[in-house]
Amino acid sequence: MEPKFNLNRPKISDEEINEHKDFDKLVKQFKRQSIEKAKSDGNFLKNKKATYATVIAGLAVVCTVTYFTVFNKQNKQTATNDKTNTLNTINKAKEVNKKKNFIAPPSQKLNVPYNSYKVNAQKGGELAHHTIPMAIGTKIKVPKNAFVNKEGKEIIGDIEIKYREFHNQADIIASGIPMTYDSAGTQYTFESAGMFDVKGYQNGEEVFLKQGKPLTVEMNSIYTDDSYNQYYLDTVNHNWQVIKHDTPLTVPTAPPENKPAEKAQSEKEIQLVKKIEHVPIQIDSVKTVYEKKITALPQPKQPNKPAKATGRPQFELEVEYKDFPELAAFKNAVFEVGNENKNYTKELHSVTWSSAIVSAGPQKGKNYLLTLKTKSREEKLIVYPVLTGADYEKAAEVYKKKFTEYNSLLDKREADEKKLKDEMAAKQKAYLEAEKQLSAELLKEQIRMRRNMEAQLENQIKSHSAVQNVVRVFQVSNFGIYNSDCPRSMPNGPSVMAIYASAADGAKLSPSYIYLVEHGRNIVFNLTDQELRFERSKDYSLCIVADGILYLCTKEQFANSIKDKGYKFALTPLAAEANNVADLRKALEI
Amino acid sequence: MNFNPRYHHTTTQLQDEQLIIEAAKQNPEHFGPIYDKYYKQIFGYVYQRMDCKDTAFDVTAQVFLKALTNLNRYEFKGVPFASWLFRIAHSEVMQLFRDQKNKRAVNADVGDMKNIYEEVQEPFFEEYIPALQKMIKDLPEEDLQMIEMRFFEQRPFKEIAEILNITENNAKVRMYRILERLKKTITNYKI
Repeated sequence: MEPKFNLNRPKISDEEINEHKDFDKLVKQFKRQSIEKAKSDGNFLKNKKATYATVIAGLAVVCTVTYFTVFNKQNKQTATNDKTNTLNTINKAKEVNKKKNFIAPPSQKLNVPYNSYKVNAQKGGELAHHTIPMAIGTKIKVPKNAFVNKEGKEIIGDIEIKYREFHNQADIIASGIPMTYDSAGTQYTFESAGMFDVKGYQNGEEVFLKQGKPLTVEMNSIYTDDSYNQYYLDTVNHNWQVIKHDTPLTVPTAPPENKPAEKAQSEKEIQLVKKIEHVPIQIDSVKTVYEKKITALPQPKQPNKPAKATGRPQFELEVEYKDFPELAAFKNAVFEVGNENKNYTKELHSVTWSSAIVSAGPQKGKNYLLTLKTKSREEKLIVYPVLTGADYEKAAEVYKKKFTEYNSLLDKREADEKKLKDEMAAKQKAYLEAEKQLSAELLKEQIRMRRNMEAQLENQIKSHSAVQNVVRVFQVSNFGIYNSDCPRSMPNGPSVMAIYASAADGAKLSPSYIYLVEHGRNIVFNLTDQELRFERSKDYSLCIVADGILYLCTKEQFANSIKDKGYKFALTPLAAEANNVADLRKALEI
Repeated sequence: MNFNPRYHHTTTQLQDEQLIIEAAKQNPEHFGPIYDKYYKQIFGYVYQRMDCKDTAFDVTAQVFLKALTNLNRYEFKGVPFASWLFRIAHSEVMQLFRDQKNKRAVNADVGDMKNIYEEVQEPFFEEYIPALQKMIKDLPEEDLQMIEMRFFEQRPFKEIAEILNITENNAKVRMYRILERLKKTITNYKI
């Protein structure tokens, strides 16, 4: 096929490129892939049950979902079943969604953040999670010795539980979690009574739940009907799996504890902490690299200074220079007997020795050990190589030259070493500077989280008397996303061809995601083309994503738009100040 | 025509890089400096060949994941580590085109087009651009890659050779032949 030719395409800024750089994610993916490889090699979970493998495979697919999005062959799309207009629309949605990530939050900053809790693996425990608008927090009950690692071995020590809940349409939109459900070939959309996502980590590595040791999640829900089922999101097969009917338990609405959940951390905070914890590794890495470089620098060898004969008794010996290369400079050297030899007598010179062996002396390179032997006698003497007359003068000249060379090499080595040490210090300093900035950012984030938490609690206290709660109890055998849901059909009303346009200038928008929010029920219909179905008796608002921007059409705007038969929906971008899912909720008037 | 020097390394830089890679073979956390150093270059290479920015970011992530996965097989051959990364990127991009041919794109500036005319010693006017675009689109994939790397990415022959795993001389000969053919086509088109 002929390639497309773009002339003078706008360049992408460095900032945008850097936004996609995520080394931690890469390392995490690499580790997950290793788990997957271990599994496929057959060494993994040898004695474990299939349930367990499903969790691992699920995780592996989450991490490789991008890969499949890129490489998925489009010609494998399922043929649409057009029995009804509703099904037709949903099937089209399925086709388009195949090209997108399975879980696709429309905006990172609006996404529902995880809260992080610590629990000791051996002791287990009960964690309390608070979410607006719940008067009473969710309880996560962790049994003792419930965690295993990727090899299936039981884990000890602290476990990080990352947990988040989704209670309204803003949470659903912001999370990007697919809410369509296939029941025997018929597509429905879930009306939710609450959903949660739970994961476990130890030192950044994912952990798994031991078979027969499920977590119990007692999630509070403001939807009190008995018409919901429990589902688990299968990220391998991209569908929801029904678990059982969800029977809600009514609980007295006691006021919330008047203290913020101190252990809760935002995702940003966790990421910052990870980055800060990574700094010593980076500094250590720099140190390792530079130490190797310094060790690899050439070390000049100091030449031996020739010694002049002092008049002490001497032996003339033939020495193998290959055994003592340092003696090569001492050509014609004789060996003077050192003062330290108490056993030396002149008589030694008159003996006919059967062997005279020279070996390294106590001062390596300076003196030598001369072993003289006869059949019945052995004498050991410390001897010093010395030169006499012209030989000494010549050797002294050579030494002078070599010593100068040695000094200059030594200076160079010292300079090189200093340069490397300076470079190392500069790099380490840069990492420390970065750490300072990250720490400042972390502090800001912690303050922001604290304020959020206080606001949440205040809100809970205000609202608890008005909200009747039920508890929905889940047995969590695998980490992942769980939902208490009821499948619903598309609105039973007219089907129209909608036009989405900017409220500011009327320019037509090409949405990549279209969410139809039905007020009065906790349901979001995910549409994929212009076909829009609604019931005139109900209130709706719209939320679309076009060119990466989130646009909204309020209840009032929606009601006005459907009066006009052109079905042109004017949408306004979500305010730039909207920084979290609560802001989205407010904007959607939920 | 100036060629981009970003790829060239001194002996010290090569040694530094090699030490980091050896450390990363033991612990993937040490791969960070390599990732930081080459992320933009690899993204640039991938995005140059496609239309969709998001796909380019996905492919770039895949390139680094593959590099990290196969790092133990990497052997230092006296050239920057980038040449190995570019080869992975090249293979990933080609695989993508094989699977989804509609994704292939060519991206160039007017200045790049002018450089081609200068190289074949023909006068250039902007009206010639559509015809040259067609000529380039009609080139076989191998020739297109050469033109792309030499004129649209301003890569020196040494680097082109390392990415395509051919000798520098071979790269020059190939380019010479492509330009000869282009010159002939330009003359035939009478543009």
